[in-house]
Amino acid sequence: MTALMSKKIVGIAPMNRNKMIMSFIAEKTQALILPLVGICCFMLLWSFTASSIDTSLGKFPGPSAVATQVVNLIDEHNAERNKEDAFYIRQDQRNEMRQAKDPSYQAKVRAYTGKETFLDQIVTSVVTVLSGFLLAAVIAIPLGIAIGLSKNLNTAINPIIQIFKPVSPLAWLPLVTMVVSAVYVSPEPMFAKSFITSLITVTLCSIWPMVINTSFGVVSMNQDWVNVSQVLSLPKLVHIQKIVLPASIPAIFTGMRMSLGIAWMVLIAAEMLAQNPGLGKFVWDEFQNGSSQSLSRIMTAVFVIGLIGYLLDLAMLQLQRALSWDKSSAQR
Amino acid sequence: MFQATLKNEYKKLCLTVLTGLCLSGSLLTASLQATELGYPEKEELKFGFIKLTDMAPIAIAYEKGFFEDEGLYVTIESQANWKVLLDGVIDGRLDGAHMLAGQPIAATIGYGTKAEIITPFSMDLNGNAITVSNEIWKQMKVNIPKQADGRPVHPIKADALKPVVEKYLDEGKPFNMGMVFPVSTHNYELRYWLAAGDIHPGFYAPHKGDTSGKINAQVLLSVTPPPQMPATMEAGTIYGYCVGEPWNQQAVFKGIGVPVVTDYEIWKNNPEKVFGITKAFAEKYPNTTIRLTRALIRAAKWLDENNNANRPEAVKILSQSNYVGADYDVIANSMTGTFEYEKGDVRSVPDFNVFFRYNATYPYYSDAIWYLTQMRRWGQISDDMPDSWYKDIAAKVYRPDIYMAAAQSLVDDKILSKNDFSDLVGEDGFRAPQKHFIDNIVYDGTQPNAYINKFKIGLKTGDKL
Amino acid sequence: MSIILDISKVDMVFPTPKGDFTALKGVDLQIKKGEFISLIGHSGCGKSTVLNIVACIHKATMGGVILNNKEVTEPGPERAVVFQNHSLLPWLTAYQNIELAVKQVFKNKMSKTEMKEWIEHNLRLVHMDHARDKRPDEISGGMKQRIGIARALAMKPEILLMDEPFGALDALTRAHMQDSLMEIQQKLNNTVIMITHDVDEAVLLSDRIVMMTNGPAATIGEILDVNLPHPRNRLALAEDVEYNRLRSAVLTFLYEKQRKVEVIPKVEATESKQKTSDVA
Repeated sequence: MTALMSKKIVGIAPMNRNKMIMSFIAEKTQALILPLVGICCFMLLWSFTASSIDTSLGKFPGPSAVATQVVNLIDEHNAERNKEDAFYIRQDQRNEMRQAKDPSYQAKVRAYTGKETFLDQIVTSVVTVLSGFLLAAVIAIPLGIAIGLSKNLNTAINPIIQIFKPVSPLAWLPLVTMVVSAVYVSPEPMFAKSFITSLITVTLCSIWPMVINTSFGVVSMNQDWVNVSQVLSLPKLVHIQKIVLPASIPAIFTGMRMSLGIAWMVLIAAEMLAQNPGLGKFVWDEFQNGSSQSLSRIMTAVFVIGLIGYLLDLAMLQLQRALSWDKSSAQR
Repeated sequence: MFQATLKNEYKKLCLTVLTGLCLSGSLLTASLQATELGYPEKEELKFGFIKLTDMAPIAIAYEKGFFEDEGLYVTIESQANWKVLLDGVIDGRLDGAHMLAGQPIAATIGYGTKAEIITPFSMDLNGNAITVSNEIWKQMKVNIPKQADGRPVHPIKADALKPVVEKYLDEGKPFNMGMVFPVSTHNYELRYWLAAGDIHPGFYAPHKGDTSGKINAQVLLSVTPPPQMPATMEAGTIYGYCVGEPWNQQAVFKGIGVPVVTDYEIWKNNPEKVFGITKAFAEKYPNTTIRLTRALIRAAKWLDENNNANRPEAVKILSQSNYVGADYDVIANSMTGTFEYEKGDVRSVPDFNVFFRYNATYPYYSDAIWYLTQMRRWGQISDDMPDSWYKDIAAKVYRPDIYMAAAQSLVDDKILSKNDFSDLVGEDGFRAPQKHFIDNIVYDGTQPNAYINKFKIGLKTGDKL
Repeated sequence: MSIILDISKVDMVFPTPKGDFTALKGVDLQIKKGEFISLIGHSGCGKSTVLNIVACIHKATMGGVILNNKEVTEPGPERAVVFQNHSLLPWLTAYQNIELAVKQVFKNKMSKTEMKEWIEHNLRLVHMDHARDKRPDEISGGMKQRIGIARALAMKPEILLMDEPFGALDALTRAHMQDSLMEIQQKLNNTVIMITHDVDEAVLLSDRIVMMTNGPAATIGEILDVNLPHPRNRLALAEDVEYNRLRSAVLTFLYEKQRKVEVIPKVEATESKQKTSDVA
């Protein structure tokens, strides 16, 4: 009995440590295994359902079809890059020939005219969404601050915001397209019109959450900080820069994350409708092609779109963690 | 040879024709050195197209380096629908595009968007078909006489469809069919075929604001972009459609419909798409215009060369996802000289897609006038117009002078031989009266009003809705 | 000594949906340079309003505030405020919080190195030099309030306004802070108006205790001179007769003459009692 007891007593410390290690492992495995289980279940369910859906373009693509397309799309990308290299070599030769004939000729290097591969389209979409989003932020944050600071401005602008906020990108698109074609005229345009159209559509749709959240952040700012600023007699601009802006950072980030999510969804829809280069166009083109590979390519695009949306949000979260003083608002 | 009133415009037309004559005359004497063609004024171009096999000359000119040979750096971009494509050309987003023959004509006369669009190059002959859903085909089939081998006798006339349409109308169900654009070849071909079978496809009355084309209609025609035709029919929104390839063969492959008649059977070697640019573009960039025409002529020649020997390669290119993108087999079906009607009923149609033979690339005035006659027949042109007006519009839009300049310089540069254009020597822009229509009515491009009056269904001289 | 601040016949009326509410009526008080004044009264009697009027965060409806013979019309650093809940900017470190004030107040009067030394001097003054680069959420409540005081002191104010500076702190910390404040006051001899709930705090720190009547239309009830010698020691004073007399005078005022009549007066009373007993 005593021996047993002493053994027990001796055993307590290592037992505790073991328990801790065990629980640590359990926690980690839970964090790792549960998502894996989820993904596996989804894969099974997906391949099972896919094989039982018949479309006029063949079976609905399962995971293996998508995997094949990923490889195909990367191969196509590499093939296109080779074509691009050849294109530049041909162009150089042509320029040299022309220069030999006409020494005064200033050789110009023209950009590759081939198709955008899937990977190119991903880049195009990401660049467009970020540009549109940044433009929106550049407008929305100062506007939101102004609205938050001035009750009159808020009363004046609020109805406009409320009306425009729920407008679908698809409604904006025709207007934007027409206006851009009419207004953005230049013989050597720096950006393609389609890029400008997509960008403005994204901006128009993603600006509102940022405006609303920023102004909310300003309005709900701790009155004490305003008092501090008053006691210090901070000039208006310093007040905005040193007090208002930092104070509303958490709310601004909340708005920015919402906006970026909207921006990404809007962009895909806009590209689809306007046939502007990018992932949306890829999906639409494949739908129109109606080839035996189309569905699996579209499915691949669906995953890529989702993944990029997720990564964008993650990046935004990291940025928020790095920049915001209020760590509690940057948890999820 | 032209009768009637010599208006000022008429004189201008004569001049244009004369220029054409002179240019084609010089083809005879290639030794006479023409001034060398200059470098293109605009080198970076963007061309639009709709996913149809007859965009092939553009894809081939790109892939075979014909554009680059002209010093043109061309980007090719598929468009959502014909309207977007036309707007793209008008607002300058696109420098040129694969267009429905009716589009430059309609734009010039101001039906739809008003704009001056010209065409120096006709892209192909034939290439369309009319497809009906399986359900309609089942009901039609009993009305079609059989050959000895049990297959239906071709061409299938709309007479076989008439009882079906009447049955639907008796039951109070509208009979909907799809075509791709109000001024598309497909609209006129479908109307021609229906009217030849005594089915009324409906009138337009733009002066009353009615541009739906459903006045007095027995069959209601509506617009659907070509690539969406099969899906729209599958969804039951339309019972059939007229569209270019590969969207008829796609219906066969998907097992959702049966092509009943090709446009080759409706009108043998009918002109189909054209390459459209704005008049302003042609005036601002004359060398570029001639050079892009040269590249397209070479591409068309390549497509028909050696008895279609290059077609398999062309099909492979077209099946790339950035061009037509349909499966190789689907595109190959029509592009390589066969056409599959009912599943398994594969028939040889060597001229289903013609890109160069029979002067397919030459922009004939008479082709433009045929489209104008159909616009008048169905009311898109509300009022009577004199024959001279038809010719005047044709000369405004169709530009054989540019075509001939391009052809001449290709011969001068010894890229093509003058034999390639031998039929065009002395060409006046009017084809000889054409007989091969499904209703056996003869078309003479020099007498548009007389032609319009020959149809049983359709507006005639003096009619106004 | 000369009068530095004159709160002259101040009325304060707040418009409310139910009609005007008179918070203050005829508040009149003259403060001498170097004097430490406590404002004491029940919650809601308008102590903070008086302070806010001096700071010009609120504008008096009638009457006004004259500082060094000049009427004050807007907030300014010469009337530095130590807020009840520290009001440090959470995105700035202790140093940066003070720096914001110093940079604003001494924009063209100090060089960069002077500013740096001055900020660090003030941090040392409140014994917070070790927390120089800590953000407010990384330090305790007492430490935050020390930084808040350092920030106010760093402005070299003509008059220091303290709005229940230690109200949110636990009893022990509060005592420490009071000691620190006495130590600082010994060195700097600032003019101070401090609002407090706490009778012991008022007696311990003040030269005069201004007792406010209950609102509405609150005003100054009595003014009590505290003539205890400096430096003061809380332990020694606990036995001091004068100290206890003053203490009971304040208590008498608060709990007999101005007994708070509210809907639930019991809670209010026990709360105040508890606070008092905490300190005692």
